[in-house]
Amino acid sequence: MTRTTLFSALLLILLALGLTPISQADEQVFGYVKGAEPLPKGANEFYAIATQRSGKGSGHYRATDYAFEFERGFTDRLAAAVYLRGMSLDTSGILIDAYLPGDRKLGLRFSGLELETKYNFLSPASHSFGLSLYNSLSHLTVDPHSGHDKSTLSLEMLLLAQKYFMDGQLIWAGNFGIEATRAKRSEIANLPPGFEWPTEPEMEVEVIGSTGLSYRFAPNWYIGGEALYEQENETEVGLERWSLQAGPVLHYGAQKWWATFIWLPQLRGGGETYPEQGDFDLHLVEKTKTEYRLKFGINF
Amino acid sequence: MPAWCADYLTREQAQQALFPQAERFIDASIELNPAQQDRISKLSGVKQRWNRQQIWRAERAGGLLGWFVIDEVVGKHEFVTYAAGLSPEGHVVGIEILTYRETYGFQVRDAQWRAAFRDKTARDRFKLGDDIPLLTGATLSCRNVANGVKRLLALQQVVLARVE
Repeated sequence: MTRTTLFSALLLILLALGLTPISQADEQVFGYVKGAEPLPKGANEFYAIATQRSGKGSGHYRATDYAFEFERGFTDRLAAAVYLRGMSLDTSGILIDAYLPGDRKLGLRFSGLELETKYNFLSPASHSFGLSLYNSLSHLTVDPHSGHDKSTLSLEMLLLAQKYFMDGQLIWAGNFGIEATRAKRSEIANLPPGFEWPTEPEMEVEVIGSTGLSYRFAPNWYIGGEALYEQENETEVGLERWSLQAGPVLHYGAQKWWATFIWLPQLRGGGETYPEQGDFDLHLVEKTKTEYRLKFGINF
Repeated sequence: MPAWCADYLTREQAQQALFPQAERFIDASIELNPAQQDRISKLSGVKQRWNRQQIWRAERAGGLLGWFVIDEVVGKHEFVTYAAGLSPEGHVVGIEILTYRETYGFQVRDAQWRAAFRDKTARDRFKLGDDIPLLTGATLSCRNVANGVKRLLALQQVVLARVE
């Protein structure tokens, strides 16, 4: 059985699980920002997340990341989760030295695994604000930018803060932390003449900060906004990129499921550029002009 | 056991549960003026969101046993409807959950959790994880029910303590 077939079979099983009438325990009102509330002891959660990244300023670029997560609350403070990741890619007419070696079209493909833990220090309901520590260890097998084989091991640590206002009708959350990554690309045949494609191991350190506000404007409905700042430093080039994204988020919580949709365009960015990107106030080498994310969750 | 939009008790059942010795319940609902709302909010530290409060006098042999108050607080998605029994002296007799529309957090119905409110007065802290247990998975409901009862005790001081 190929990896793609295995991944598709697992996806069908998870979707089938999603159709069963099971109850809801917790939910995420934000698209990117993580809340500090822990999953209760004994509760299980399943998420499906799709993130579309599009627009490089030239040619055509559309990548979609998929993540399927199973999370369990082990104590009232500690929850752990395993993610199965996949991606698809359609790019043409873009050449970015050392990043995008040419046109590529990939169907849904398995791209890696991720383990995460969340430990709650302060509950936002019983303290003036909530605080949790989030750790994530991931191994990706596909370069999320080019779709070519790349072995990436990442460790991410975030502090998650959250506060309720107006009896919980207004929710603020903020995250801050770092991600350390070791990555090594595989060789590619038939590179364009003079095209650089480094295959030596590279180390990256990323600083991540995000914040969001969400307001319950009607029963079951939340609307809000989020901002995400990322800065990545890499052994080869120093400051590789930085970007600021912000956009609106809409959340609906039904009796048996919840869904969150966010549109997160890039407002400003910098670091490495490529000649054809057009807008040089954005970072378009690794990031894109726009991201959309749809999250679907079921708790049981 | 999930708790989707469950109506657990009717008003009459909750009245009997909180004041089983009462012979009758007389509607004594009130309209709060802005000054009273401000005073309640200030005393309790919790915003009095509306000016009408549903209240019944619990009586036996013409004497006042206490006040039966129906209140609503914000849950994760919708309002949680509960009832509180208050003594004429300003103690909590008990609380009952009437309607819980949330999809999780049904533990707020647990008798043991609700018993933590018994005999509380406006001088108590109502601190989750301290004098009120925090139920993981129902943290917002816990917090808002606790704040709601604290607000009703302030209402008892501001309005009901002056009523014979």
